[in-house]
Amino acid sequence: MSKLEEPREASGGHRVSSRAPRAAAPGTIHALQAALAAEHAAVYGYGVVGAYLTGSSRAAATADWVAHQEARDELEAVLRSSGSQPGPAAVAYRLPIPVRTPGEAVSLAVILEDRIATAYLGLVALTTPAVRELGALQVRASALRAAFWRGSTVAFPGLTAAALAIPQRPAPDREASASP
Amino acid sequence: MAADPTRRVIIAAAAVLPLVAVSGCGGVDVLASPPAPARDVGLLRAAIAAEQLMIMRYAAVLGDVQNPGQGAAGGGTSASLTAALEPLLAEHRAHLAQLRSRLNVPAGSTSPSPSPSRRAGSAPPVPTAPTAAIAFLRAAEQAAATAMLDRMRGAAASLAQLFASISASEATHVPVLDDAVRGIAARAGA
Repeated sequence: MSKLEEPREASGGHRVSSRAPRAAAPGTIHALQAALAAEHAAVYGYGVVGAYLTGSSRAAATADWVAHQEARDELEAVLRSSGSQPGPAAVAYRLPIPVRTPGEAVSLAVILEDRIATAYLGLVALTTPAVRELGALQVRASALRAAFWRGSTVAFPGLTAAALAIPQRPAPDREASASP
Repeated sequence: MAADPTRRVIIAAAAVLPLVAVSGCGGVDVLASPPAPARDVGLLRAAIAAEQLMIMRYAAVLGDVQNPGQGAAGGGTSASLTAALEPLLAEHRAHLAQLRSRLNVPAGSTSPSPSPSRRAGSAPPVPTAPTAAIAFLRAAEQAAATAMLDRMRGAAASLAQLFASISASEATHVPVLDDAVRGIAARAGA
C-alpha cells in the first residue's frame, strides 16, 4: 500500500492558497473554468473507475476521487473570490472509452488524469503567481496519479503532441534574405 | 554569420512561443502578453544544464550497475535496476531535446549550450553501492523538480508550461526509485 500513499504525500497536499486576483482577466477565468470542468468530469469518472475495481486498487481510486473533489472545491473557491460563478457539473458524462472491465477502468483513470494535467497547464500559462502555482502543483499531483495507474512514467505530463512538436526553422531562402 | 549569436537565440526563442500553447484551455489569448525573451534564454540554459547533469548521473549509476566493481550489484539486481533506470534516463534525454529545441540555435552550431558540464563530459561522482546510488538519484530528482519549478515562476507562459511539465515528470521518478530500492531489499532478504 505504501506505493499508493506516496503520490498523495508527494503531491504537496491540497493546501494551495485560494488567494486570487480581485478582478481576474477573462483569460484567467476561462482557464480556471476549463480546469474546473475537467475536475467535474474526473469526479464523475473516478466514480465509474472505482466501481470496477476491488481491494487496494479500489482504495486508490477512492483516494483519487476524494483528491479531485478537493481540487474541484478549491477551484470553485478561487473562481468565487475572483467574482465569477463556478461552472456546474453536468448531470452525466459520456465516457471517452467504454468501461466494462478493471483494465478499462484503469485506462479511464489514465485518460482522466492526462486531461486534468493539460487543463492545469492552462493555469501555468497565466501570470498571476498564485494561479500559476496552483496549476503547477496540480499538474504534479495529476502526473503522480497517472504514473500509478499507468504503471510507468511519461516525459511530458499534460503537454500535447502539438505543443511538443519541434518548431520548423524558417526556409533557407527566407533566412538568407533576412540576413545582411 | 556568427555576428551576434545571443541576439539570434533570443529572437528564435520568442518566435517559438505561439507554437506551444496547450490546446483548448484558453492559453492562447494569455500568450498575447509580451514575453521576456532574454530572461527566458537564461532560464532555458539553466534548465538544459540541469538535464545534462541528470543524464550524466544516471549514466554513471547505470555504468556502475552494469560493470560492478567493489561491493556493487549481483546479476539479478543489476538487471532489474537497469530496467528501472533506463526509462527514467530516456525521459531526461527527452526533456533535454525539448529544451534544446526551444533555444533553436542556428544550424551548424554543434554546441547549443556552452555549459561547462557538457564540455567536461566526465562522469560525476556517484555512490557505487546500489542502494546508496538510488538514494542519490532520488535526492537529485527531487532537487531537479524543485529547481525546475523555481524556473517556471519567472518564465513566460509557454516556457512555464514546459518547465511545469518536466518538473512533474521528475517528481514521478521518485516513487519509481523508491520501488527500485524496495526491490533490492526484497532480493537481499530472499
